[in-house]
Amino acid sequence: MLFQTALYASLALCVLGLVWRFSVWFRVRIGPDARDVTPAQRLAAVFRGATSALFSRRMFHVLAAFFLDVLLLRRLFAQARLRWLGHLLILVGFTLLLLMHALAPLVTAKLFQGYQSTLDPYLFLRDLFGAMVLIGVALLLIGRWRRRSGLPQARRSIDAAFVALLAFALVTGFLLEAHKIASPRAFYRMADQFIGATDAEKLEPLRAFWASEFGVAFDDLSGPIDANMVEQGRQLHRDACAFCHAKPASAFVSYPVARVLAPVTGLLDDARADAWLLYLHVFACLLGLASLPFTMFFHVVAAPISLLVNSAAVNRDFSAQSFSSEARASRRALALDACVRCGICDLRCSVAPIARYLGNPGLLPAHKLITTGALACGLLPRSGHEDEALRAADGAFLCTDCGRCTSRCPVGLDLEDLWEAGRGDLAAAGLPAPAQWLQARPALAWAESLEPGPWQHALSDAEATFAPLAADRGTFSRCVQCQTCTNVCPVVAHSIDPEHGVDLTPQRVMNLLRLGLRDLTLGSRMVWDCATCYQCQENCPEGIRVADIMCELRGLAVRRLGAVRGWREVS
Amino acid sequence: MKYALFLGCKIPSRLPAYEASTRAVLEHLGVTLVDLEFDCCGYPARNYSHDAFVVAAARNLALAERAELDVLTPCKCCFGSLRHAVRFLREDAQLRARVTQALGAEGLAWTGKTEVEHLLPVLARKVGVDALAAAVRTPRTGLRVAAQYGCHALRPSNVTRFDNPMAPTIFETLIRAAGATPVDWPRRLDCCGDPLHEANAPLAERMTRAKITDALESGAEVICTACPHCHLRFDAVQAGMRARSIRTLLYTQLLGLALGLPAKSLGL
Repeated sequence: MLFQTALYASLALCVLGLVWRFSVWFRVRIGPDARDVTPAQRLAAVFRGATSALFSRRMFHVLAAFFLDVLLLRRLFAQARLRWLGHLLILVGFTLLLLMHALAPLVTAKLFQGYQSTLDPYLFLRDLFGAMVLIGVALLLIGRWRRRSGLPQARRSIDAAFVALLAFALVTGFLLEAHKIASPRAFYRMADQFIGATDAEKLEPLRAFWASEFGVAFDDLSGPIDANMVEQGRQLHRDACAFCHAKPASAFVSYPVARVLAPVTGLLDDARADAWLLYLHVFACLLGLASLPFTMFFHVVAAPISLLVNSAAVNRDFSAQSFSSEARASRRALALDACVRCGICDLRCSVAPIARYLGNPGLLPAHKLITTGALACGLLPRSGHEDEALRAADGAFLCTDCGRCTSRCPVGLDLEDLWEAGRGDLAAAGLPAPAQWLQARPALAWAESLEPGPWQHALSDAEATFAPLAADRGTFSRCVQCQTCTNVCPVVAHSIDPEHGVDLTPQRVMNLLRLGLRDLTLGSRMVWDCATCYQCQENCPEGIRVADIMCELRGLAVRRLGAVRGWREVS
Repeated sequence: MKYALFLGCKIPSRLPAYEASTRAVLEHLGVTLVDLEFDCCGYPARNYSHDAFVVAAARNLALAERAELDVLTPCKCCFGSLRHAVRFLREDAQLRARVTQALGAEGLAWTGKTEVEHLLPVLARKVGVDALAAAVRTPRTGLRVAAQYGCHALRPSNVTRFDNPMAPTIFETLIRAAGATPVDWPRRLDCCGDPLHEANAPLAERMTRAKITDALESGAEVICTACPHCHLRFDAVQAGMRARSIRTLLYTQLLGLALGLPAKSLGL
């Protein structure tokens, strides 16, 4: 009764959770193009897309993806063999354990006549499937640990808790089975039930047989057991027990555990270990069921759907353009759920060395995926956590769109589409690329906002290391203000439209630096619109490294103006 | 001849034809390319952190050094970036110490043994123009080609040592080797506008259009590129132009066709 109530409650929670998670795919808006699309439009677009794929040749691509990508995990195989093996062991072991063991009355008992959990092959298979899952979990953890990006891995504590819960359910399962094998109490209960005998004399041969061959740990049977007695017991066993009890040695995990537990079996029996281990095992499983939609384990639903959706793309290169903007919006929300934070994308991210040097994991794909989701859900930027948002923005705008994360993702997520959408959301949240937010004020206003100011500020040692040329007044001492740099500058030449033209010329920038008015240059459009074509530097008769200095000034501006800029200044 | 091939971030995902044609042409000419696990050249971080830029570049060079190979890159921006990093490392001892420390954590080191080469000088000087001309089977006779030099390979010349920065000839020489006719166009040394795209899109577009117009007015049939940034920039701007447009062709594609390689292997 208690188990049944708990089962229905867990099922209800699981179903409600799933419905809620599915609804997120149609509600969460990621990217500027998703902003004006209603959930109903998205639902309709997904329905249209699914039906058109279902009745076209693309259905064959979907079928191929189902077998190769969903069942055989082809993409993971290409990236990490050890983790692929671990994942496959869990997938197969868990599914079969669920069908054969957890759903035994509904599945196994219906399919196989005379099913008894204590008979072979079920006795053996249950241990085999359980061991597959346990080994699989271990392989995944080892795989993750062995190949790391050198920066913290993206993960949520609730996911670690879920893995611990899974392991706990398996371990309690094995312990329960082991204890029942060794338990004299279980033996007497069965003897009472099936032979109707409780007197010790009649049971003595059976006890001898079960103690020597079935591993029951009777504490009053010590010393060598009489072989004749065992033979008599075998006869009795054949008549009364064998039809539903195989030799437990085939439970190759539980049986050795039972042997180990033998010395304390009496104590465990007294403490009713069979009852509480059962409770622990069942409740761990039910808790897992109820929490499935709320942890990374939800990827067992989301990842296959994501793989199948992408395989149904009209263009075979799976590009985002294959999907309508409504469907694209849902595809992005789905991607957030399909990601398992495996971190394989982080390993070969093109900017990982930069991320490591800056100590900012926000550059790495697995982390960016989390911040992209947080941004879309309104969890970022939060007041009091502006740093977090700024680091996320640095990560988003230092990404080079090299596409390696997308090509390596084991669940085939279109991450480039997600990054582009995320950058749009960052800009809308007041965190655009530096070249954009710097345009919010004219150069003079930026300089005046610096403290202590204005613009005679000496560079700190740290800043000077980042801008060695600009920090050294001697760099400009040779400048004769000949304006060659300005005359050869293509940006100046094309600045015919006042709205998009430059404010200062390169020569004026150099002159301000020469005069020690460096801060006046930091927010200047000339500095930010420099195309780094190096005409100025090549042509400077005094050999001043004009373009190199422009690059340094941009780095300085990001640091110094970034520190004083108002929150959400640009929108 | 053996080089570590440095593709950078743009080519594999945005311009795979450049990778295919580079491999096809170089293999045909007997140049061996080795693939190392390179990452970003560092260029995008340059506006953000000078140190991070040099560390990223130096790490790539250290990987090549460990494999005892020189680096060949078909990307002019990666080329310039890696060459710049070498200059900064050579002139700034404190920076070198910081980089040594950062790379040391991975068991890597930069000592400056590795040379960084762009594809064009390797073809013109290492393989040799004469050898190229001798290998040409189907010269592209009569094709009028505008050579897009690309800023980051050409300037600053004391860093890139690519060619004479005021009057370069290397690209035209290579075009002639493929049997085609180089066109003299006034804006051949100008910036393609790509680096300015994010900061000032209208101005960047004006720069690109000026070049396209100039190439057309100078009688060119194609603009020939040897950098993914320039190439993609011309294509992107022309996609939004209603006016007459000009075909873009990668130099490796032009040369590959002249060598008689199948168009498919060149990504055409």
